[in-house]
Amino acid sequence: MVNFTTDQIRSIMDKKSNIRNMSVIAHVDHGKSTLTDSLVSKAGIISSSRAGETRFTDTRKDEQERCITIKSTAISMYYELADSDLAFIKQNVDGNGFLINLIDSPGHVDFSSEVTAALRVTDGALVVVDCVSGVCVQTETVLRQAIAERIKPVLMMNKMDRALLELQLEPDALFQTFQRIVENVNVIISTYGEDESGPMGNIMIDPIVGTVGFGSGLHGWAFTLKQFAEMYVAKFTAKGSAELGPAERCKKVEDMMKKLWGDRYFDPNAGKFSKSSTGPDGQKLPRTFCQLILDPIFKVFDAIMNFKKDETAKLIEKLDVKLDSDDKEKEGKPLLKAVMRRWLPAGEALLQMITIHLPSPVTAQRYRCELLYEGPGDDEAAMGIKNCDSKAPLMMYISKMVPTTDKGRFYAFGRVFSGTVSTGLKVRIMGPNFSPGKKEDLFIKPIQRTILMMGRYVEPIEDVPCGNIVGLVGVDQYLIKTGTITTYEQAHNMRVMKFSVSPVVRVAVEAKNPADLPKLVEGLKRLAKSDPMVQCIIEESGEHIIAGAGELHLEICLKDLEEDHAGIPLKKSDPVVSYRETVSEESEQMCLSKSPNKHNRLFMKARPFPDGLADDIEKGEVTHRQELKARARYLTDKYEWEVSEARKIWCFGPDGSGANLLVDVTKGVQYLNEIKDSVVAGFQWASKEGALCEENMRAVRFDIHDVTLHADAIHRGGGQIIPTARRVLYACQLTAQPRLMEPVYQVEIQCPEQVVGGIYGVLNRKRGHVFEESQVIGTPMFIVKAFLPVNESFGFTADLRSNTGGQAFPQCVFDHWQILPGDPSDPATRPFQVVAEIRKRKGLKENIPSVDNYLDKL
Amino acid sequence: MLYLVGLGLGDATDITVKGLAAVRGCSRVYLEAYTSILTVGKEALEEYYGMPLILADRDLVEQQADEILKDADVTDVAFLVVGDPFGATTHSDLVLRAVHAGIPYKVIHNASIMNAVGCCGLQLYNFGETVSLVFWTETWKPESFYDKICKNRKAGQHTLCLLDIKVKEQSVENMMRGKKIFEPPRFMTVGQAADQLIQIIERRREEGGELGVTEDTVCVGVARLGADDQLIRTGTLRQLLSCDLGEPLHSLVVTGHLHPLEVDMLRVNAEPDALKDLKSIDSSTFCS
Repeated sequence: MVNFTTDQIRSIMDKKSNIRNMSVIAHVDHGKSTLTDSLVSKAGIISSSRAGETRFTDTRKDEQERCITIKSTAISMYYELADSDLAFIKQNVDGNGFLINLIDSPGHVDFSSEVTAALRVTDGALVVVDCVSGVCVQTETVLRQAIAERIKPVLMMNKMDRALLELQLEPDALFQTFQRIVENVNVIISTYGEDESGPMGNIMIDPIVGTVGFGSGLHGWAFTLKQFAEMYVAKFTAKGSAELGPAERCKKVEDMMKKLWGDRYFDPNAGKFSKSSTGPDGQKLPRTFCQLILDPIFKVFDAIMNFKKDETAKLIEKLDVKLDSDDKEKEGKPLLKAVMRRWLPAGEALLQMITIHLPSPVTAQRYRCELLYEGPGDDEAAMGIKNCDSKAPLMMYISKMVPTTDKGRFYAFGRVFSGTVSTGLKVRIMGPNFSPGKKEDLFIKPIQRTILMMGRYVEPIEDVPCGNIVGLVGVDQYLIKTGTITTYEQAHNMRVMKFSVSPVVRVAVEAKNPADLPKLVEGLKRLAKSDPMVQCIIEESGEHIIAGAGELHLEICLKDLEEDHAGIPLKKSDPVVSYRETVSEESEQMCLSKSPNKHNRLFMKARPFPDGLADDIEKGEVTHRQELKARARYLTDKYEWEVSEARKIWCFGPDGSGANLLVDVTKGVQYLNEIKDSVVAGFQWASKEGALCEENMRAVRFDIHDVTLHADAIHRGGGQIIPTARRVLYACQLTAQPRLMEPVYQVEIQCPEQVVGGIYGVLNRKRGHVFEESQVIGTPMFIVKAFLPVNESFGFTADLRSNTGGQAFPQCVFDHWQILPGDPSDPATRPFQVVAEIRKRKGLKENIPSVDNYLDKL
Repeated sequence: MLYLVGLGLGDATDITVKGLAAVRGCSRVYLEAYTSILTVGKEALEEYYGMPLILADRDLVEQQADEILKDADVTDVAFLVVGDPFGATTHSDLVLRAVHAGIPYKVIHNASIMNAVGCCGLQLYNFGETVSLVFWTETWKPESFYDKICKNRKAGQHTLCLLDIKVKEQSVENMMRGKKIFEPPRFMTVGQAADQLIQIIERRREEGGELGVTEDTVCVGVARLGADDQLIRTGTLRQLLSCDLGEPLHSLVVTGHLHPLEVDMLRVNAEPDALKDLKSIDSSTFCS
């Protein structure tokens, strides 16, 4: 553990080429936090009194108790690479010392938004995979996000101890397992990433290059091919030749690494490498990886675990491992741990992999800039980001808010991409709704304090240059969750983050003691700040709603609210699901609504989106910020829209970005643009609160066919047009065979074969349907993948456990919206019941309003 | 019977004798209170008419018109409108509803801004299409009225510009939440109107368009027409930008071609030098 003063840390921050910002991402329970511990103990920059605690990055009490990471936590580490190793780095370096900012993020899908926030401020990712379970659903989700953000991955095969001790795999089978995982990861990378000619170059992981680590976080040992290659290079060259220069040695080691993986074989008798699996005498040759790497490890395991004392002593000597005196007393597993930890220290191998293969901010910001910045690619801000220039105007992205010990206040946590942020600097604080040239969502304030954040402790620092991660004090009151901080007056926003999960599960809360209402309201505000994803909404009925990604997420949010943010006892409703309203046909008639003064008339129709368009909008392929012509081209090419119509999209909605469209198909209406704003406002309103039960609409296209206007502007203002637009939109919806959509999870369940039957039973009862079932090769485990309506997911985990003797573990992740079949106006259908329940809950009139309320006659 | 009664422009006593008789014979009397206002309040009217008045806001007139018409076929209902019932306001819908419901109606006329504006000296014969200037918002800045003024001017006609009044207007947020919270009332002044027009002129000039109206066009600002303290001010648009005509309501007239007699009348209330740059088109026609 290194003990640095703030000044020393500050001076390292200036060496931008030697900074590595990285996140640790993985499926739940694949061992991220434990692995992170081994890094921290090797290189953490923290006061020594804190050292040695386990699960260092799990700062919350409940995290420690549940052994699950809930919030992502950043820590800084300092690592000095040996001179001889500098030659391995293919980008610019500036001395031996490296500052590594590591963010440990949660693996449970419900907390994916934390991962998204972590990825935004980092350039590289350590993907941890349990080599026994292999690539799981959350591995894929987070990796996909990383690739989309242009985060370079390296892989760590964790839990090798389990493979060796529990599964007792043979070397060749283990190699096959490793190779399969590497392939699986690369399939994901190539599916979602750009190819080799992309701006990041080749980002496929490859053991030969050294971007794959193997080991056991729990036991504290790990290696990449580099470690073994170095050993063998040293062994082969020691005979005779003199000391090698760094460049020459690097070349040799890299050549050796190529020989240690894949279909390369080793003839132990002749001591020679071979490209074919049969030797000169026809005998079968072992793979190099098995013979030269796994074999020694197996031998150590075998000798120690089977208490072969003599052999153990011989091996220890051969490996040149120096044990402490009290370690020498140990035997069995504790001895194994001690030996392996000395021989192949995890911190060393991983920190080398990180510093050598992950990009510095200088390297990464060059290709990340176009994804990060919304403004033109050649303005001062963009150039500052691209060049990672600490003299350029400040550009900083706040990715999340971290609660302070001071109740109710938050540190704004983020990354400086350009310029330097300092205490007292006057900055422009821009929320996500800011647009250049306007004053909305913009504050100009000085920064109260800049701080370093390390695990659960913070340290004030004078200023922080670009490429670093930092916390700000005093910004929390101007930003809701995220935002851009800049000193450049013409700056556009940094792009908002796209979450892979949606807040589809909601509960209503109220204070047990009505007098506590103000505390509840204040608590909800804090909760909304503290979590990147959670939404706190006040319904028209006065109900306070909390919406989260899943049951666990909500549970944690409610606990935080009750114990921390509000500090009052709460009454909670059963969880309910968000629905979407959509249409299934084109409106059966031209809908007309007249303004209250009857002088203005709007004629419109609704129709459903073509399949896939709503997903494209939600994924950000088609957006409201897109350039008009590019968007029109996309729509005409992919969805066969008419070019003229595709260019006349007035807006997206709800909230200006949702998956509903308002399109102007009128021909030559005078002054139409003077009511555009009002119609858009009405559209935002209607698409946010549909006619069926005031849920959001989705995948509905509204066409404005004709408009009759009063000759004078005063009689066609917002007061006349907004309510009229809303009424005609409702009429369009109700005449277009409205339908309800429900959210559906993809669940992945891992279990032993004998309980698969039980899983099917539970899924059938819950309207789930299985679409894939496969065995994890080399294990007795099965993976069942199914779609499950979110509405049926409450208590699903418990139900599943009780039906499988606790042997099945589901992971649910939001997958898609699905139409709930049936006409919501027909009392015999399920949608009718759902609508009735929602209307009752929201305090609306019992029945869906009849279309006559919205439709006017000519 | 539904009586639509004009109240004129000034105070309670501006109602016609015929109108007063009709009002006193009615069982319910509504006072329309959102398209215009009198200089005196509802109480003063009630006292003078000797009748209780029901305030009819936009919501009541537009959304719940049936309530106004209730029983109007058997009893008499009066609907009081500041100015003239068919002047600057838009109550055709109420009449149409009455007709559909088989309710007879009668209109009792009175002075309106549309004719009273003649007192500024410009002849009513020479007015073109009337326009309204609306309050701009951050995002909504209609300019169509400017084109209409230009069109009138090209034809040599004056343009009466009615200036926006906002009484009991909801913000969009409150409208969405269905909350009956209203913004404070606002009335556009001649100065504000001149400012908006000049903004349009400057923008169009940058675009290089042809300007039908400029800062030097002679305009007339009028305030509280019909009241005892009415004010008329003639000046160029630029001069009117800084004028203060006091309490609402204000209106603005943009002149077209001017007859010599009109010029003489304008001179009565003119700002210094306002009329010195008039061009004569022929011996009896001037233009600014």
